Amino acid sequence: MNNMERADIAIIGTGPAGLEAAITATIRNKKVLLLGSRDLSRKLTRAQEIQNYLGFPAVRGEDLAKAFQAHLDQMGIEILEERVSAVYAMGDYFALQAGEQMLEASTVILATGVVQGKPLPGESENLGHGVSYCATCDAALVRGKGVAVVGYSPKEEAEAAFLGEICPEVLYFPMYAGEVSLPDSVTVVKEKVTGLEKRDGQMAVLAGDKAYAAASVFVLRDAVAPGQLVPGLETEGAHVKVNRRMESSLPGLFACGDIVGTPYQYIKAAGEGNIAALSAVGYLEEMKHKA
Amino acid sequence: MVKKIDGQAFQTEAKAADVAVVDFNATWCGPCKMLSPVLEAVSEELGDKVSFYAVDVDDNPDLAAEYRVQSIPCLVLMKKGAFVDQSIGFKPQAAISGWISGNL
Repeated sequence: MNNMERADIAIIGTGPAGLEAAITATIRNKKVLLLGSRDLSRKLTRAQEIQNYLGFPAVRGEDLAKAFQAHLDQMGIEILEERVSAVYAMGDYFALQAGEQMLEASTVILATGVVQGKPLPGESENLGHGVSYCATCDAALVRGKGVAVVGYSPKEEAEAAFLGEICPEVLYFPMYAGEVSLPDSVTVVKEKVTGLEKRDGQMAVLAGDKAYAAASVFVLRDAVAPGQLVPGLETEGAHVKVNRRMESSLPGLFACGDIVGTPYQYIKAAGEGNIAALSAVGYLEEMKHKA
Repeated sequence: MVKKIDGQAFQTEAKAADVAVVDFNATWCGPCKMLSPVLEAVSEELGDKVSFYAVDVDDNPDLAAEYRVQSIPCLVLMKKGAFVDQSIGFKPQAAISGWISGNL
């Protein structure tokens, strides 16, 4: 389908849950927008051997992924390779920030897997009050001030470089191993960040045995927690709160797979993907009758 | 309706209102753009009790600094000019009207 027209169901994630949801929704003749990776799921392809997937005794993850891909090809389902950074509940539809594009869908199925790793101590408490997740959003508010960036992947170096153009001092804390390439306007601090603190109305980045002062700290991660991906979504720890129909706290938004909780099993994820798709189809029917 | 105002109208109108919700935003901020139609819908819902305004932080840096706006979008709720509460980031309509009603 043309990405500019509103999809019936946008599915975020290409592990077993997202793929099964896409297959079921396609069988039910819905306009599906499947967002994820053409390599499907790293967790899946890296699995050495899966022993309890129905019909595939002792299958290697890579081979199961190939079987999934063949199933998608047979049904003509394509994957749009974009990272979704935000899902906005607009009322009667959802807007998805996917890379530079804004996509629209009547319903959304979240199947992004579970986010490993906890926020830094002091991160959540100071969000919006010295801690920011979006350099381009809040750049104008820190113009002329000293800031710090905690980057979890080399991709975030571009954001730090951008802040270097408008801030007199930028400290960059890489939370990964390997080369860091940044212009002279950014100071790289190769110390592991252990926490963030508010001190005298300023932020302090605790790293090594020192505290580094900054007006604002930008914490930039590859994977975002579900409550951050979908503002207003009810969560329980790292998981999205859903009922047996895979309905979340937001009408029209469903979740399935590891993101809704344990057990983290492939066959359970696929089953939930099936439920989520059928629930989304039911929701679309209801909407049609209301209109 | 959400009324776009500058620093002067902020002093005369927003601060004088019984209950005012001020949306601090900017043209280049994605979440702000998404929040604006949602806030418009909230204003239809609660417009008889609450006055709604929008302030561009680029045009009004002093106001943004005065209200310690560090992340946008940022909604500031005031009663007769006195700060009551703020809400940061995009939120769905029900969450925003719930937040406002809880502060009435």
